[in-house]
Amino acid sequence: MKKLILTASTICLVTFSIISCKDDLLESPPFGQFTSATFWQSGEDVVAATNAIYEPLRDHDFYGHAEHTFSIVEDDQWRAGDHGEDQAIEELTFDPSNAQLAAGWREKYEVISRANAVLINAPEVEMDASLKDRSLGEAYFLRGFSYWRLHVIYGSTAIILEEDVLAGEYNKPKATIEEMQRQIESDLQMATQLLPQSHSAADLGRVHNGTAWGLLCKLYMYMDRLNDAITAGDNVINGPYPLAENYADNFRIETENNPEMLFAVQGLDAWAGTAHRIYTTPRPWGGWDFHAPTQNLVDEFEQDDPRRDATLFLPGEMVDLGGDRGLTEYTTELSQTGYHFQKFASWRSAGGLDEGQNVPILRAADVYLLVAEAKIRSGQNGDTELNAVRTRAGLAPVTNATMDDVIHERRVELAGENQRHFDLMRWDKAGIVDIVSIYGEDRGQFDPPRSFDRNKHYYFAIPQREIDVSNGVLEQNPGY
Amino acid sequence: MQALVLIFYFITPFAYAQERTVSGTVTDSNGGPLPGVSILIEGTSRGTTSDADGNYSLAVPDTESTLIFSFVGYTTERMVVGNQSEINISLIEDISQLEELVVVGYGTQQKRDVTGAISQVKGQDFENLPVASSSQALQGRAAGVQVIRNGGAPGNTGSIRIRGTGTINNAEPLIIIDGFPGSSLDDVNPNDIESMEVLKDASASAIYGTRAANGVIIVTTKRGKTNENLKLSLNAYTGVSNAIKTVDVLDAPTLAQLKRERYVNDGLPIDPIWEDPQYQVQRTDWQDELLDQGITQNIDLNLRGGGESSSFNMSLGYFNEEGMMKNSFFERFSLRLNSDHKINKRLNIGQSLQLTSRKGNFLNTNSAQTGVLWSAIRFQPSLPVIDADGNYGSSQVSGEFGDINNPIFTVDTEDDQETRHRILGTLYAELEIIKDLKLRANFGIDGEIFDRDNFEIIINDQIRARDRNSLIRSYRETYSLLAEYFLSYQKTFAEKHTAGIVGGYAAQTFDEASFLARRRDFPDEAALQRYLDAGNTIDNAEGNRTYDGLESWFARANYEYDNRYLLTLTFRADGSSRFDDGNKWGYFPSFSAGWRISEESFWNVGLISDLKLVGGWGELGNQNVDRNQFLALIATGERYSFGGEQTVGAAQSRIPNPNITWETVQMTNFGVEIGFLQNQVLADINYFIKDTKDMLLPVPVIGSQGQASVPDRNFGEMRNQGLEMELSYRGNKGDLSYRISGNASIIRNEVTRLNAPFLETRRYGRPNEEIARVFPNEPLSPFYGWVADGIYQNTNEISADPSIANDPRNEAGLIQPGDVRFVDLNGDGLIDENDRTIIGDPNPELVYGLNAGVNYKGFDLNLFFLGSAGHEIFNADRMQGIDPTYPFNMYAETTGRWTGEGTSNTIPRMTTRRDNLNHRSSTLFIENGGFFRLKNVTLGYTIPSELTSRIGISRARFYVTGQNVFTITDYSGMDPELGYVDNNLQLNVDYAQYPQARTWTLGTTIDF
Repeated sequence: MKKLILTASTICLVTFSIISCKDDLLESPPFGQFTSATFWQSGEDVVAATNAIYEPLRDHDFYGHAEHTFSIVEDDQWRAGDHGEDQAIEELTFDPSNAQLAAGWREKYEVISRANAVLINAPEVEMDASLKDRSLGEAYFLRGFSYWRLHVIYGSTAIILEEDVLAGEYNKPKATIEEMQRQIESDLQMATQLLPQSHSAADLGRVHNGTAWGLLCKLYMYMDRLNDAITAGDNVINGPYPLAENYADNFRIETENNPEMLFAVQGLDAWAGTAHRIYTTPRPWGGWDFHAPTQNLVDEFEQDDPRRDATLFLPGEMVDLGGDRGLTEYTTELSQTGYHFQKFASWRSAGGLDEGQNVPILRAADVYLLVAEAKIRSGQNGDTELNAVRTRAGLAPVTNATMDDVIHERRVELAGENQRHFDLMRWDKAGIVDIVSIYGEDRGQFDPPRSFDRNKHYYFAIPQREIDVSNGVLEQNPGY
Repeated sequence: MQALVLIFYFITPFAYAQERTVSGTVTDSNGGPLPGVSILIEGTSRGTTSDADGNYSLAVPDTESTLIFSFVGYTTERMVVGNQSEINISLIEDISQLEELVVVGYGTQQKRDVTGAISQVKGQDFENLPVASSSQALQGRAAGVQVIRNGGAPGNTGSIRIRGTGTINNAEPLIIIDGFPGSSLDDVNPNDIESMEVLKDASASAIYGTRAANGVIIVTTKRGKTNENLKLSLNAYTGVSNAIKTVDVLDAPTLAQLKRERYVNDGLPIDPIWEDPQYQVQRTDWQDELLDQGITQNIDLNLRGGGESSSFNMSLGYFNEEGMMKNSFFERFSLRLNSDHKINKRLNIGQSLQLTSRKGNFLNTNSAQTGVLWSAIRFQPSLPVIDADGNYGSSQVSGEFGDINNPIFTVDTEDDQETRHRILGTLYAELEIIKDLKLRANFGIDGEIFDRDNFEIIINDQIRARDRNSLIRSYRETYSLLAEYFLSYQKTFAEKHTAGIVGGYAAQTFDEASFLARRRDFPDEAALQRYLDAGNTIDNAEGNRTYDGLESWFARANYEYDNRYLLTLTFRADGSSRFDDGNKWGYFPSFSAGWRISEESFWNVGLISDLKLVGGWGELGNQNVDRNQFLALIATGERYSFGGEQTVGAAQSRIPNPNITWETVQMTNFGVEIGFLQNQVLADINYFIKDTKDMLLPVPVIGSQGQASVPDRNFGEMRNQGLEMELSYRGNKGDLSYRISGNASIIRNEVTRLNAPFLETRRYGRPNEEIARVFPNEPLSPFYGWVADGIYQNTNEISADPSIANDPRNEAGLIQPGDVRFVDLNGDGLIDENDRTIIGDPNPELVYGLNAGVNYKGFDLNLFFLGSAGHEIFNADRMQGIDPTYPFNMYAETTGRWTGEGTSNTIPRMTTRRDNLNHRSSTLFIENGGFFRLKNVTLGYTIPSELTSRIGISRARFYVTGQNVFTITDYSGMDPELGYVDNNLQLNVDYAQYPQARTWTLGTTIDF
């Protein structure tokens, strides 16, 4: 009897000691995760945090697709696809609760948030100075870039900087348009000072000094600061960023990271793919059939312009879909308008769309044309820059190029690359084009007339969700 | 060996057949004579009744005869005559009601002494229901306990809410199985359950402290009894299940006609696909193809018995359900072994062991982009399941057919299975130190291995294509260890005073380790190759570990005076590893008191045989929230590439909140228990107020914060108050015995404090339609949207409508006859976001269950009804189903669309345009969600034992059971039992969830 009690007590004690005599019974360490206290120790940490800033660019709601949907208003493309809410975007009849308006909002701020984390923490880390500069430069650039996208789409939004993060202050009223532009300018200028001119092969795809100058050039064009734009753009034109030999090289996986490509969302098959390829390709070819080019765009190309072929799938063209399908003829039935963009997709030899297709954001050719435009608009001759783009395409140079030449050249050179709608609004503000009549013209079912209201449509509406959750702090844009 | 002897004994032919007379006296437990007791020879109609002195005399055919003694209000006794000529028997008062033992935390109490709110559900009430999970068995059986079915997929378990949804966070109750807290009801074979006690109020559940805020369910499994004959029983049933209802959709010709009408109405050229005759042939009813007949099977073997000092109960079970939806299945093997041993006069030990293995697949049925039933409703009806070339019909032919894959292709090729192996073992030792003072130690382990294999094939010929195949294997081991020690002391002194005390210490740990691996590019997709090794590209490998610990001290004291006055006090202190130092420990007190008025000398109401008033108050906690929210986490693994090389980034994944702690619930309870007519009718009525404080709320994620998760803050408050009623009645007349019981709960939920104007919930489908929001001073997650007021019949109505006088769409001529008239709530002459309001409440005002049973001779009939009332359903599936702007098939009711003045006031015109947003969230899609359902009906017949005993069977019962036999509801969708989506945040929104089936089963129970 006594023995039994003793045995029982021993069992109790043993079991007790297994789990309850642990003095750390109530401590739950965060296994496998870093905390802010254990991170930011080394250069590797800073580089990892910097790499992470790029990552949201790949999201479907950012450059995976939705960023391009803000361009369906333009006369170059028909929305196609099957997103019901796109009709109101294309026709400028959207409400602030239209789902497309919220697409990319949080992704842009996530880029800003990750950039702020680097800007706050990296300066204190002991590490290689040039690597630190590069990382800080990337952070400044990507923050400025996100504000740039917010600016061209919504006009102005809340500016969240390092001090706001440290204070936990996120629900801020909108900045003014001027403050927004000043912030972008200042971030890009910091980036030009910190970033190297170019990268080694292993770092291709990171932004560099030329990317920052190129975007700065574009910003100045949107601010009508023509001389500043020329100065900024010259840093690209005179830098190690020559135009690719062939226009199409920019859209082939093997050559997509050539020096002309100042900034593109990087895709790597089987690791971190991009999504835009699915949206721009025909349904029977594995795509989702969005963004169909209009006849109006096709007609804009000069007869012998090879860029038409490189930009579009044209009826009769044979396309290698790889795998069992192999060479397949592109036919008009594949598209409502009769065309698809070719720039953004290719197929693996084994079949299936290749996720390694980059999404171009900024090319040196764009900057060349901006400088040409700035020169022409400020009374200088822009032939050199304009003709650099034309001769690369194998077309005859023009002399004493006019704004009409610039408008034409930008349209065909950059078709589908998210520029036309924003260019037209910029030129309309500057009195160069009449956007109301361009958009008001009836060019058939896939390019219907839409009424552009200058009191309203220069900027899209702030997403209703953000207005709602800000509890009155964030104000809607005028007209909505 | 014993079993063999027993079986041999049963099959021995009647050796001593001879008529003899038996006589004796029937007394009650106090020795007083019991007159009028019915004494019947089993299996015959021969019998007698006892006289005024309790005496009887009866001629019996042989020594094998069994006498059955029965009397209202007393337990029925059976005696084998054997060689006896005098059988005196004492009948015990039927304690199945008031005197019954109720399991409470760390002990048991007589029901009459309980001062908290506890509902007991007996295992026999849900024996052999064709349900996969014990939680389903609980549905509708106790007041204040709502089991919400989240669809009818095989193995789907549902959510349990005790006294309403107490928090926007995890609101599931604590489940305690054989003393082990934190286990899962899903792993218990329902036929192994002896009883489930639901601890509803703070007084009853505060002994479980920081895990009790959502209520506690204590499951006690069947155990053997000492000196019990060995009994082997077999339970088996099998049955079929079928869809109750499908959604009527358009056939192919009508669909093409309506699609063309859209273009004509909009003045656009008709998309040629709609004029192609091959797409105007009706080929497939996709819902019929998807919803086949399901099969449910169950077999259980149970062996129990006991000797002088040991007893055991052992069972083996197998349950298999092939769902009515193609390729959906669930199966469970279970093994249970419980035993108890008296080592000596003062020491008892015992154990429970449960082993289960579950396997199933879970089709996606709540996505409005890829859900299979959602797809079947919408997929193009002119496409064949499989075309002449042997390929699955595909919507790749045209953008007009939407981005839906052939749903039959999806279910045929789906390969996503999970298995769970679980062990739950407990061991106890109880030592009587001195008389009335016991020390008990409980140890337990609950371990689970979760393993999921998901092979995704290459899809080339469907619109949602997949370029590369992949296999993901996820593996997780969780285990929890428990050690508890407590003393209990119970003593009656000076006759009228009874006091009891229980107190002790508990520690529990929870460990989890997991990994996930993925390979891609399998050159061969054959079943034999669907293993990681066969994939060419190693794509992903991740894994992690988590730990939680709880340490607790607890005590309860009971005092009773003269059967009239009752008092209970409890206290628990809990330390939790989920929170930072300084916030780890919480203290949870409670008290309750009862007054049995019917024991007072002045009580003199014949009709009411028992009357007790109880009341209590207490505090409870909920620590079931994400751990370590006081740390700022940096997550690695953000994938990107530079120079064509893989790179990985690290970004902050959580912003910290150092002050985070558990949620607190304060609950007040008042109850009255009444017994009428010698307690044949019992009523239990409770009123409660349950206030949740410090509810953890996500800080509203302002877009400008980016995507890192924002920590919860202890800020919100919520109130649930309600009235619960349980009523039961039992009686008999001759051979007819009957029982009826019902329960009803009226619960009002209100979110009383938020740190934001509202919280968002999941949005619906492609256009991100907002369905519901959480608002302060409203019940949880009311539906939110616009108010519709019919349809504009002509242009005059449009031009005369002041609601859209300033609407730019109206000015642009974009609002046309056949469009919905929305109400301009703020009177600014245009319809916009400022005209949204609350348009419906998904929370039922009343939920109820009704159980009725009759036994007559060998027949038994049981009916179980379930209902809810006073709530709405947001029929989101219909919102999209009648919307012509989607490239999908539509509900058949769109044939009744507006086509001209006076044609329809509810279904808008056909158009491709979304200018007026006719199908935005509005009152058009809010429906009454109330229903009354015959959840279960069982008709059984027990073959007289005199027939079966000859072949060694002491009892053989056959039965037929129907589940979801009929439903009375106004709801137009497939099934009004919709459940939750988005955790607790959306209730009763129709996403075309897996509907519940109507199931008919045939079964038998045989005792040897």
